[in-house]
Amino acid sequence: MKGFTTKAIHGQRSKPDAHGALRMPLYDTASFEHPSSREIELAFGGKRPSHVYTRISNPTIEDFEQKMRLISGGLAVLALSSGMAAISNLVMTLCEAGTNVVTSRHLFGNTVSLFEHSLKPWGLEVRYVDMTNLKEVEDAIDEKTRLVFLEVITNPQLEVADCKALSALTQSKGVPLGVDCTVTTPYLFNSKEFGVNVEVLSTTKYISGGATTVGGVLIDNGNFDWKKSPKLAEKAKKMGPMAFIATLRMEVYRNLGACLAPHNAYLQALGLETLGLRVDRSCENALALAKQLQNHPKVKRVLYPGLPEDRFHKLAKAQFGGRYGGIVCFELADKEACFTAMDRVKLIKRATNINDNKTMILHPASTTFIEYSEEEKAKMQVGEALIRLSVGIEDLEDLTEDLTQALET
Amino acid sequence: MELTVNGEKVQVADGLNLSGLLAAQKVENPDMVSVQVNGEFVEKDQYGSTQLQPGQEVDFLYFMGGGA
Repeated sequence: MKGFTTKAIHGQRSKPDAHGALRMPLYDTASFEHPSSREIELAFGGKRPSHVYTRISNPTIEDFEQKMRLISGGLAVLALSSGMAAISNLVMTLCEAGTNVVTSRHLFGNTVSLFEHSLKPWGLEVRYVDMTNLKEVEDAIDEKTRLVFLEVITNPQLEVADCKALSALTQSKGVPLGVDCTVTTPYLFNSKEFGVNVEVLSTTKYISGGATTVGGVLIDNGNFDWKKSPKLAEKAKKMGPMAFIATLRMEVYRNLGACLAPHNAYLQALGLETLGLRVDRSCENALALAKQLQNHPKVKRVLYPGLPEDRFHKLAKAQFGGRYGGIVCFELADKEACFTAMDRVKLIKRATNINDNKTMILHPASTTFIEYSEEEKAKMQVGEALIRLSVGIEDLEDLTEDLTQALET
Repeated sequence: MELTVNGEKVQVADGLNLSGLLAAQKVENPDMVSVQVNGEFVEKDQYGSTQLQPGQEVDFLYFMGGGA
């Protein structure tokens, strides 16, 4: 199998189904029976490829993980209950009190909250830098840095990270590079080819097939020597390249309990089959709407890496192969103008989430970034006049009509 | 010769290397297992050159969707 969608549809079953089911059945069970005490002992020791308890692993979840592995080309994949669970598991696997994470000034609001409110009290230092400034990133990394973490396209600033350059820097420092690629997915961006070590995805977005369920994924691309990661160094001597995923599966992920529900894994594996088709359509719609907004007299500025004038266009083109994702941001005169336009939409939904089949509109400053002060929001470049449009897969003419009438006075 | 593979005594051909043992034992998804010989991790590129000796303990450890 060579093609992305072929892999997503057919996958690679670890065992033939007892009844020949074409689709991996939903194993909605907490526990699994074993033929003998010896067998369950071996399973617990990781010496049998069999499932013992769904908080740790499950056949339906494994099927989704294997499909993600196939389409991404990664070494190993772990599915979790949400994208935030993926980030928190990643950080807790690599970091500890007294160490630091170097991350972007422009992160998703909940990720900032995870760092500031949930992890800092446990002794983690978080260093925020401009990821488009390599010198600043380099200066922030020291011997206590355990992870450099960023989003491949920031939300809602829509800044694009130069992953190849960042990877060269982090590799030279012996620090793993973790990148949240939710808005691109492996369909638009092969993170391994660009040197990313661990890819993070919120599968709630594009992958779930229309915001059907919440989920997350961690992909170990197999291109980092975990012996260089102090917390994993001893395990790497015993487990080699599998040290990261083994530590998650047998410790962090198992103990934190942020497992994906089998039902959600079933729906997300189903969503994966049409991912390519939906991402293509969403990107086409987004580019068309971005161009229309650019020409609208009430729109002060449009942010979209697909626009040739955008400062990240060249980089985005090289990294994402000529498609630029489904998020378009634009500025109106002020907050009031944003609220007026948003209150006028009829088809487009006023809702938070991104990369659904439905187009959604949001005012980030008063929603996803509501917990931050004006000063903090200014630093994050989340202005009061900014609207985020997550473009779905509806027919373009309907989206154009709705957006046009919403922007009328 | 006799080896202990994942806790069980098995008879294998003399002179077998790790690659041969993985094939003989029909290990599922061999690229996703960590292999230990007498408790020591063996790199994948060493499988072909790792000659097994009688009495050795070989463990195939699964971390992808298997038991833990």
